[in-house]
Amino acid sequence: MPAADRVHYRARPFRAAVRIRNFAAKAVLSPTVLLMLVCFYGCALWTAYLSVTRSALLPNYQFAGLLQYVRLFATPRWNVAWSNMFLFGVLDILGTLGLGVLLAVLIDRQVRFEGAFRTIFLYPLSISFIVTGLTWQWVLSPTIGFQNFVRGLGWRDFVFDWITRPDRAIYTLVFAGVWHQSGLIMAIMLAGLRGIDREIWRATRIEAIPPWRVYLSIVLPMLRPLLVTCIVLIAIAVVKSYDLVVAMTGGGPGYASDLPGKFVVDFAFERANIGQASAAAAVMLGSVLTVLAPYLYLELSRRDR
Amino acid sequence: MSAVAAPARIGRLGLYAFLAATAIFFAIPLLVVISTSLKSLNEISDFSIFVPPSSPDLAAWWKAWHAACTGLNCGGVHVGFWNSVRILIPSVTLSVLAGALNGYALSLWRVPGANLILLALLLGAFIPYQVILYPLVKITSTIGIYSSLPGIIAVHILFSLPVMTLLFRNFYSGLPDELVKAARVDGAGFWRIFVSVMLPLSINILIVATILQTTGIWNDYLLGLIFAGRENQPMTVQLNAIATTSTGEIEYNVNMAAALLTALPPLFVYFVSGRFFVRGITAGAVKG
Amino acid sequence: MSGVVVRGLTKSYGPVHALRAIDMVVEPGDFAVLLGPSGCGKSTLLNAIAGLDDIGAGSVEIGGVDVTPREPSERGIAMVFQSYALYPTMTVRRNLSFGLRVRSVPKTEIERRVAWVSELLQIGGLLDRKPSQLSGGQRQRVAIGRALVQQAKVFLLDEPLSNLDAKLRAEMRVELKRLHQSLAATIIYVTHDQIEAMTLATRIAVMRDGRIEQYATPDVLYERPATLFVAGFVGSSGMNFLPGSLGRASMPVARIEADAIPLDGYPFRAPFADGGKVIFGIRPEHVSFADHERGGPIIEAETLFIEPMGADTLGWFQYGSQRISARLSPQCARGLSGKVRLALDIGQVSLFDPTTEQRL
Repeated sequence: MPAADRVHYRARPFRAAVRIRNFAAKAVLSPTVLLMLVCFYGCALWTAYLSVTRSALLPNYQFAGLLQYVRLFATPRWNVAWSNMFLFGVLDILGTLGLGVLLAVLIDRQVRFEGAFRTIFLYPLSISFIVTGLTWQWVLSPTIGFQNFVRGLGWRDFVFDWITRPDRAIYTLVFAGVWHQSGLIMAIMLAGLRGIDREIWRATRIEAIPPWRVYLSIVLPMLRPLLVTCIVLIAIAVVKSYDLVVAMTGGGPGYASDLPGKFVVDFAFERANIGQASAAAAVMLGSVLTVLAPYLYLELSRRDR
Repeated sequence: MSAVAAPARIGRLGLYAFLAATAIFFAIPLLVVISTSLKSLNEISDFSIFVPPSSPDLAAWWKAWHAACTGLNCGGVHVGFWNSVRILIPSVTLSVLAGALNGYALSLWRVPGANLILLALLLGAFIPYQVILYPLVKITSTIGIYSSLPGIIAVHILFSLPVMTLLFRNFYSGLPDELVKAARVDGAGFWRIFVSVMLPLSINILIVATILQTTGIWNDYLLGLIFAGRENQPMTVQLNAIATTSTGEIEYNVNMAAALLTALPPLFVYFVSGRFFVRGITAGAVKG
Repeated sequence: MSGVVVRGLTKSYGPVHALRAIDMVVEPGDFAVLLGPSGCGKSTLLNAIAGLDDIGAGSVEIGGVDVTPREPSERGIAMVFQSYALYPTMTVRRNLSFGLRVRSVPKTEIERRVAWVSELLQIGGLLDRKPSQLSGGQRQRVAIGRALVQQAKVFLLDEPLSNLDAKLRAEMRVELKRLHQSLAATIIYVTHDQIEAMTLATRIAVMRDGRIEQYATPDVLYERPATLFVAGFVGSSGMNFLPGSLGRASMPVARIEADAIPLDGYPFRAPFADGGKVIFGIRPEHVSFADHERGGPIIEAETLFIEPMGADTLGWFQYGSQRISARLSPQCARGLSGKVRLALDIGQVSLFDPTTEQRL
């Protein structure tokens, strides 16, 4: 074969091959992209649209403005669930973060048996929220749990029946939440603490700065982005909460410990009110975006810098 | 040779004391549940669950496995166990594989709009299930997979896509892209590079992803409740049904045994996997 | 101003001996440099003096006080780290004052010291910036400022210039020398760069494998190196090392290649054995063309190649089975080829025992 033809013949398959390779990558990603568009974003828009229609038992695509939202916020049960979310959220974040950071700091002080401590603090994360909720329901139960135990020790008048009291039930969720999630915060913050330049620690030793002051004034401020990440994670978990409420209090007594996550599912399936459920779900989405938007904006602008 | 001063030693002791106390706080719920599951019903009503059993036996465990009742059915949680297994295995393998392929394609190949896709995935990872639950029910019932095994598997894979893709994408981005270039010069294509070059390097991240998925899918409740169908209800759903039936006397020991049986598989994975588990939860948490 | 006395300092990491019974005296006002290749123990020694690491045996005295059992903050030292270790979330002003505030130094005193340091190091305009907004050189000056503000007795610096580019490093060398003179401070400084050591130090400790090979002024180190290692490490263009043997004729001679080079006037430390092996060391600047009437013994060599280095040129010659280098002016070096006659300045020669590597 003449030399010129040989070169031409070899070049063509190569160019075709380049196109094929990139095509494979796009082909692999297409189903995911499609599913994301349809199932995540499309469905979210669908729900958002349902929330501004006249839907009740069945979907009714007649536009109705903010009717569902007005009705929603006039519903006592929703208002309880909504305010519960903030109560539970703030306490859960403070408790989880507080304990998690404290544990991380203590372990960072080079303790022995670090492996054993970490194993104990992290195992709740492997347990489902259903088991967590049930376990804490039993532990805080006045009949068989903590109150009973303390009374059995002699304090006949000891009372700890929060889980059965409408005004206190929501706070019991905080125990379970902190127990379950502190380990995660500890693991994340410990990784961050270990990444701190050791020479900074040595500089503080020479300047006679006590360790607690170093954590407070130097190290933890350096880890501010990580702390914000932790807050965002817990906050979003609180918004999504369903399993924990169902197992621990069932939303009760009555609906005293209800949360938006449970409200949406109950109204979509048991109560069969699509309009109200969609409005509530849209509010949930709005909450998540409110927490997420500033965080993502900060993160992305930090990366660009 | 540096001496530790007395105040420092007391501080050290206080540190260990606090850690030990916290460890007890973490361990007690599990210990309490274990100990109660080994008691007889009389013992539970006489004393609180914080007291250890006088003569431990596994009767409650047997009953939980074989004969616990959810409403009318009294088949025990072993039904739920096998359902969960049948849901778990396809869901985990397919979602991990999908994540690996997606992450590989996104990080090492030129794809138009890759950054946009990543942002969309990141946002998608945070969307609560409840926001798209009803529309998904509509879609799956239209396709005909609502309330079935394929249905729940599909839904699990769907919800795993964002986190798994991001996890693998971050991992593959950390690899030098000279690897891919060298392989391409050698004539290897997309699939060949994935199988022969990438997969062997991915053992660690595959383990992490598998652990993350196994724990997440086994512990799932809401999706299983809605999409699995009555014959395929996972163990968590069955457990909750058993524990919240309020007919007659509550058999706490059986309920607790059932809870432990449900918690055992992921707990076992946790104790066995150690460092990989930690990597999994921190990587799954710090997405993107 | 305080001195530092180190006695018998020993430290091991398992089987590795990082420091072997180090003895060293730093007089008040000295600028002592610990010089050596990586792994020689210089940073370990500095950390031991600072009290940042435990030691196996030995003692450290600062200002006449035994500080061995004391924490770093109680030794009266201040330290500048290689990575500067500035507190990233604090402004420069807070970086400088934080340690003082923790020690409850009165506010007016803190302000006075910060002002003094800002003036001295020209960082006044940077006081309200954060470290991430500063250049490398600026961060370095802030790190030095933080050390000065503590008004310590002894300043320890761990390779502070190694993260700077060459030009900045040269500028900072001048700064440091000026600071040392104006503050009359006692400084112990670690570096692997022998130029830094030679320009800054009053005395240099050349270290290798956990031992101090020689501790002397730069001049002595350069002209009368105590060991083969010191001779080769110090000095920009390496010393020529020619193996041979010693002989005794009417005077001591070194038999190198085919020549017998007279060693008239060489200050031997001890009597040597006739025929004993020797390494003859001479720096390129002490080798020149015989025609230039420098005097001294003359050898014949064959031109190999020329290395132009700007102001000077290094010429390489084949001398028997050896290579020898000579520093030449560019004019002489131009067009050089073939056989040449080189004169050796015997007054600047160093002789070493090949086995002990010690100076003879």
